[in-house]
Amino acid sequence: MVQTTPSNLNSFSNDLIASVEDLKVYFHSKEGLTHSVDGVSFDIIDGEIMGLVGETGCGKSVTARSFMQLVQTPPGVIAGGKIRFKSKKTGNQIVDLLSLTENQIRELRGERIAMIFQDPGKALNPGLTIRTQIAEVFQEHREDDVFKKAKIDHIHKNFIGAILQKYIKQQTNLIIKLMLLVPPIRAYKKKLDKAIDKLVIEALAETQIPNPEKVMERYPHELSGGMKQRVMIAQAIACNPDLLIADEPTTALDVIVQARILELITELQKRHKTSVLYISHDLSLVRKICDRVAVMFAGKIVESGDSDTIFKNPVHPYTKGLIKASFMTHERGKLEEIEGIETK
Amino acid sequence: MSEIKDTVISDQKIYGSAFKVRLNRNLEIIKNVLSNPTTVIGLIIVILMILMALFAPIITEPNSPDPYQMPRDWKAARSAPLTPGHILGTTNRGGDVFYGVVWGARTSLKLSLLVVSLTLVLGVIIGSVAGIAGGKVDEVLMRIVDVFLSIPELIFALAIAAILGPSFTNIILALVVVFWVKYARIMRAQVIRIKQREYVDAAKIMGASKLQIYLKDILPNSFSPVMVQATLDMGNIVLVGATLSFIGLSEAGIAEWGVLVSEGQAGISAGRWWASTFPGLMVFLWALAFNLVGDGLRDVLDPRTETRR
Repeated sequence: MVQTTPSNLNSFSNDLIASVEDLKVYFHSKEGLTHSVDGVSFDIIDGEIMGLVGETGCGKSVTARSFMQLVQTPPGVIAGGKIRFKSKKTGNQIVDLLSLTENQIRELRGERIAMIFQDPGKALNPGLTIRTQIAEVFQEHREDDVFKKAKIDHIHKNFIGAILQKYIKQQTNLIIKLMLLVPPIRAYKKKLDKAIDKLVIEALAETQIPNPEKVMERYPHELSGGMKQRVMIAQAIACNPDLLIADEPTTALDVIVQARILELITELQKRHKTSVLYISHDLSLVRKICDRVAVMFAGKIVESGDSDTIFKNPVHPYTKGLIKASFMTHERGKLEEIEGIETK
Repeated sequence: MSEIKDTVISDQKIYGSAFKVRLNRNLEIIKNVLSNPTTVIGLIIVILMILMALFAPIITEPNSPDPYQMPRDWKAARSAPLTPGHILGTTNRGGDVFYGVVWGARTSLKLSLLVVSLTLVLGVIIGSVAGIAGGKVDEVLMRIVDVFLSIPELIFALAIAAILGPSFTNIILALVVVFWVKYARIMRAQVIRIKQREYVDAAKIMGASKLQIYLKDILPNSFSPVMVQATLDMGNIVLVGATLSFIGLSEAGIAEWGVLVSEGQAGISAGRWWASTFPGLMVFLWALAFNLVGDGLRDVLDPRTETRR
C-alpha cells in the first residue's frame, strides 16, 4: 500500500471541501457480509476535479452514494467512518454527512451537493416535462431568486408573499389554490411562473442545449441520450452546488457526445468553481479532466495522488495493470465530427 | 449561476412554441387512440350509454315520486314492442321496458362510478402503503388481499350482499368489498417497481420530501395499469351488479337491467322475449364497450403489450 493514508486523517484543513475518513459500507447478502467499501479515505480539495477510478464493483458508486445517504439500509450497513463536508453557504460549517438526520441531509441535497447519474434515461421522471423537473430545483431551493427574477421581491414579506411562497414551495392546499385565483394574486402568480420559465431556460441554455424554450416542454423520452444528460447537468448545477458528484456520467453515451459532455462539465466547473468528484472506470478520460486521482480496488483505495504522477509512475500493481489495459500508449487526436441533425 | 442575469426572452417565444409542442403531442395521443377501430367502436358505445344515462329525464318522462322506480301501467301489461307509448313493450307487471332500459343506464352508471371510485381510492391507498412500507406491513396487507382473492368474485359478492340484505346500496357495498383487492395488488407491485427507479433517487438528491416523491414520482408513474383495470372494471361491475339484481338482491321494481331481466324471465317461455332481451343486450353492450376501451387504453398506455393491429 502506497500513499494510501492521507496525512491529515484527523484534521480538516482549510482548502478542503470534503474529506472521507475510513469509510466502511457493508452489505448483507446470502453469502454473509460483503465488504463493499472497506476503509476508504480521500480528500477533495475545494475547486478541483477529483477522480475516483476502479473496475466495476469495486465500491466507487457506493462511496458516492454514501455522500448523499442513499445507501439503502438494510441491506447496507454503514459500519464506520466519516464523510466530512464543508458547507460554504452556512459559514463554512463542517458537518459529518453520515450522522445527519433525514431532514438535515435534505437541506444539503440538491442545494450544496448535487449528483449526475450514469444513465440519464433512467434518472429523469418519464411522466413530467423537463420544465417541471428543473423548475423543482428552483422552487425547492431558490425561491428568493424566483421572486427576484419576477421583480416582485418587495412583496416577499407580507401576506400575499406568504401565499405565493407556499405556491412556489408547492405546499398548496385548497384554500391557497382558491386564493391564487384572486386577480391581483393571480397576476403575481403568472409573473412567478414566467420567472421560473426564464430560470429554467437559462439553466438549459448554460448546458448548450439548442432551443431550450422548446426542449423544456418535452418529456424525457422525446430527447436523445446526450440531451437528457445535459438536462441532468442543468438540473444538478441549477443550485450552484459546492460539490458535484458525477457517477460515470458518460458511460451510457457515445464517444462524440461523451467528449462534449466532458467539455461541458469542465467548463461549468471552472465557471462556477464547483468541486467535482468524478467517478469513472475510463482511465484516459480521468487523466484528461481530473486534477487528482484515487484508484480503488476491491473496496480499498490502493493509490492516490496527482493525476499526472500516478499515470506516469504507477506504483501499485493494480494501477499498472489498469493503465496497461487501457489504450493509453499513444495519445488520441481530436475526434473529427460530422455535422448531423440538430433539433430546430 | 451565482448572479441572476436578465436575459431577454420574449414571452411570445416561450409560450408560442411551448403551446405548439403540447398541442402536437396531444393530437398524437388522440390519433393513437383513434387508429384502433375496436377502441373507437367501444368509445362510441360508451359515449352513447353515458349520454343516455345523463339525459334519461329528457328521453323518458321521469316517474314520480321516485324516478328510479319503474312506472306501472297495469292496463297495458304484456304489450309487444312498437305498441304506441311502449316502444319496447311492457313486462307482465306493466313495466315499460324502454323506461327500464334508459333509466337502467343511469343506475348502472351510478353503480359503476361509485364502486370504481371507492375501490380505486381504497386499493391505491392500501397498495401504496404496502409497497412503500414493505416488510411486515406489506406481508400482513398482502396476505389479507390473498384471502380476498382466493374466493371467486361473484360468489363472494353474492354472499356479502345476501348477508347485508336486498338493497341497491348493499350491492354497492358488496362490490366494493370484492373489487378493491385487485387495485391494491396492482398498485403495490407498481410502487415497488417504481420506487427502485433511479429518478426516485434523483428526486431525493434534489432534496424532495418523501411526500413530494410519492406524489410526483411514484404515484403518476404507477398509475396507468390501475387506470386500465378501472376501465375494465366499469364494465365488469355492471355485469356482476346485474347478476346480483337478477337473483333478487336489489330492491324490487327498481329500474335496473338485472331486475328487468328477471321480471321478463317468466314471460320468455310464453313468447314474450322482449322484456328480458333488451336489458340483457344493454348489459352485454355495456360490458363489451368498456372492455374494448380498456384494451385500447392498455395498448396506448403500455407500449410493451403487443398491439393486435
